[in-house]
Amino acid sequence: MATTIEQPVKTKAEPELLGLLAEFDDPNALIEASKKVRDAGYRKWDTHTPFPLHGIDEAMGIKWTILPWIVAACGLTGGTIAIGMQYWMNAVNYPFLISGKPLFSIPACIPITFELSVLLAAFGAFFGMLVLNQLPKLYNPLFKSEAFRRATNDRFFISMDAKDAKFSEIDSGEFLHSLNPIGVEEFWSDVESPKLPRNLKLALALVGVLLLMPPALVAYKRSTTTNSPRIHIVPDMDFQPKLKAQNTTNLFPDGREVRPNIKGTIPRGQFKDDNIPFYYGLKYLPEDQDVVVIALQDEKKTDAKKTEEKPPADPKADAAKTPAEKPADPAVDAAAAEASKLEKLPWVTEFPMPVTEKMMARGKERYRIYCSACHGLGGEGDGLVSLRAMDLQQGTWVKPASYHTDNVRKLPVGRLYHTITHGVRKMPAYGAQVPPEDRWAIVLYLRALQKSHEIDATTIPEAEKRKLRDTK
Amino acid sequence: MASVTAKPIDTTIEVPGKRTPLVTGAHDYGTVTDAVCRLAECKTPTAWYVALGISASLMGMLFGLIGYLIITGVGVWGNRSPVFWGWPIVNFVFWVGIGHAGTLISAILFLFRQNWRTGINRAAEAMTIFAVICAGVFPGIHIGRVWLAYWLFPIPNQMAMWPNFRSPLLWDVFAVSTYATVSLLFWYMGMIPDLATLRDRATGKIQQFAYGLFSLGWNGSSRHWHRYERAYLLLAALAAPLVLSVHTIVSFDFAVSQLPGWHTTIFPPYFVAGAVFSGFAMVLTLMIPARTICGIQDLLTDRHLENMTKVIIATGTMVGYAYAMEFFIAWYGGNRYETFAFINRAFGPYAWAYWIMVSCNVISPQLFWIKKIRTTPWMIFVVCVFVNIGMWFERFVITVTSLSRDFLPSSWGYFKPTIVDVLMLIGSFGLFMTLFLLFCKFLPMVAMAEVKSVMPRPGGKSDHH
Repeated sequence: MATTIEQPVKTKAEPELLGLLAEFDDPNALIEASKKVRDAGYRKWDTHTPFPLHGIDEAMGIKWTILPWIVAACGLTGGTIAIGMQYWMNAVNYPFLISGKPLFSIPACIPITFELSVLLAAFGAFFGMLVLNQLPKLYNPLFKSEAFRRATNDRFFISMDAKDAKFSEIDSGEFLHSLNPIGVEEFWSDVESPKLPRNLKLALALVGVLLLMPPALVAYKRSTTTNSPRIHIVPDMDFQPKLKAQNTTNLFPDGREVRPNIKGTIPRGQFKDDNIPFYYGLKYLPEDQDVVVIALQDEKKTDAKKTEEKPPADPKADAAKTPAEKPADPAVDAAAAEASKLEKLPWVTEFPMPVTEKMMARGKERYRIYCSACHGLGGEGDGLVSLRAMDLQQGTWVKPASYHTDNVRKLPVGRLYHTITHGVRKMPAYGAQVPPEDRWAIVLYLRALQKSHEIDATTIPEAEKRKLRDTK
Repeated sequence: MASVTAKPIDTTIEVPGKRTPLVTGAHDYGTVTDAVCRLAECKTPTAWYVALGISASLMGMLFGLIGYLIITGVGVWGNRSPVFWGWPIVNFVFWVGIGHAGTLISAILFLFRQNWRTGINRAAEAMTIFAVICAGVFPGIHIGRVWLAYWLFPIPNQMAMWPNFRSPLLWDVFAVSTYATVSLLFWYMGMIPDLATLRDRATGKIQQFAYGLFSLGWNGSSRHWHRYERAYLLLAALAAPLVLSVHTIVSFDFAVSQLPGWHTTIFPPYFVAGAVFSGFAMVLTLMIPARTICGIQDLLTDRHLENMTKVIIATGTMVGYAYAMEFFIAWYGGNRYETFAFINRAFGPYAWAYWIMVSCNVISPQLFWIKKIRTTPWMIFVVCVFVNIGMWFERFVITVTSLSRDFLPSSWGYFKPTIVDVLMLIGSFGLFMTLFLLFCKFLPMVAMAEVKSVMPRPGGKSDHH
């Protein structure tokens, strides 16, 4: 600034003339006066009216605002964001397939695209207007003028900025008086710049620290671990007053929360009574139907008990023992009793369906998938799992029985089928994994394996003998 | 000129070749300011405290019940199978509908250059915002687990899920929140110059600070006014289709479903007409007592009231047409479920509600054809109260009759509200009235700057624009 060189000693305490203010009581007079100010060539001046005065824009020579372009840009941005958001969220990042409809379609996007376009355009209009008007601006030297308070009520003002190139205190003042205002006054800068209250900074710092505490606490909790259970601020449905399996209750005499099926319940897809030989391996169902299933479960329980009770002092000997050699204890007695119960059941001795080559092939395939891992490909009980378990010498493993003992040879096919279905000793139940047809096919293949071990070579058909002789 | 005659004139009479003045009485710019600022500046009347006390107690009851609801669960309402959208949704649609008048008056009437809007727009916009607040409460608490309300918005969350953008319920979230935001901006922006007036007249430190802060340093600069008017026009142009879109989308909540009685294409225009209808009725219900109590009859003349009653006749007749057309289509469409739904509405177990709705919404506004009723404030008030009742029942009829009897007779039911339902509706009126009373007391009830701009200028030059 040129003035700084000429007046270097000017102290800040001296007030500075910021401009002049002329007051009118008639809007029409203001418009006439404005035309004169405009024509006089002033640039930094303004008029202040309590309401938008029509005709003042031309009188002052105000250029059209660029606000509509800002609003249009914001609206387009909103629409683009909306379409992009819907496409990315519902078709890319989290594909939302509903009734086979396309993941993205324009008609379904219209409402939200419209809403977001309007929302952003409205923000553009409101905030754009404020920014272009340089608002909010809470301090304005004009506000110190008592007369200017009526600028928002019923008076009309012309304000002239001292920074205008044409401005001079005396000439501009005379010029304004010539416009016939009610009055003209000067407005000055403050002698002392207003100071912030002394405690404000302290108070702000205190508030800042207080505001930081919750996020700091959250950050601390997130970065450390704790052994106490989580705090359920909102219990949601974490704790529900309802009965669950494995819990006890006073509600029923047996104390169990889970209820057994009512006698005679047939779960969907479990109707078997029209083909008892096929589904159970029995000629007919015995009166005590539970024995068919429960016998085996009990045997397993005793098996588990045995493991608990017996210290693994002599695991090798224990592992080598077959169930029959086990020392007598109540659990084993019970198991034996169940075994004899099973023996008495009316097992079928013939396959309950025609035996075909296809069935044999299926049985071989299934046997190799499900059984051979323990029982071995030849049924000697030397599968890899069994061998490995024996190597480990844990004392908990019961070696699978070889099929080629008299005991097993004598078992009726129904009993074999039953064993596959419900398991025995360490062998788990395969009823849930292998369908009945396949279980019978496995039994068939098992029988074939047994036969292959005891066959008299002379009874082999001639064609097969030739195959055996063939060295190629 | 009208502005200088002290003789009260009947503004409801058309004089050919002459514009009816929008401001009556001997007013100039200063007295308009005085009239509007009076309530904010002079001693508060005792009646205001009494009214606020009652409203605030009802509002407190609403918040208490919301607390009870959150702690207990939505079972405290009468919402039971098959009616899971009971009163909360009825109240939501009712309040959102009321919230249509303000922005319609501000935006659409502004675009149509209906200058009479200046007398009522501020209060109507305020009413809009308060009604939308009341409306927002109900779906918010209807979701059951209120603390998960943020699931409504597309916010990144720990489930790595996004909302379904093809659901009308999500459109509703965007529509109502956009409408609330834009209405608030529109209302606030219109109020900035008037807040500056209050700031410049305020004598107390607190008032000076508060009005000073919210008027953002407005100084009435003509360069500011130029941009301000552009912004206002643009906001009006944006808000006008927005008003129409909001209740359209609310109607999609119903129309996009496949329930008989909801699945109809007439819903969007029918809902919008109903919303404008109920909104104008609510503006009149509020403004007829308010203009007397606040002493602003000169700015809010009988002419204003009459103009609004004409809008009510128009929209009320549209609503009546929609009722008739729904019946026609139910028969003409040949869908037996649809036919049943409508026969059930008019003659089923909810016939009482249906006929309350028809008599309040279709018959009562037709009384406005009579000039005597149209120009007598207390008669307008009575009719408008009936319209408000009718419009609440319209939403009840649509929501409850369709849900209570749909395709499967074995799952039919009869909806019964609980005491919590009833008290919450009353409480929402408490919230609404509390906000409105605070507005009347602390904010400029009439858009002073806009009224001044449509007043004849001194010196005989009229201000055509």
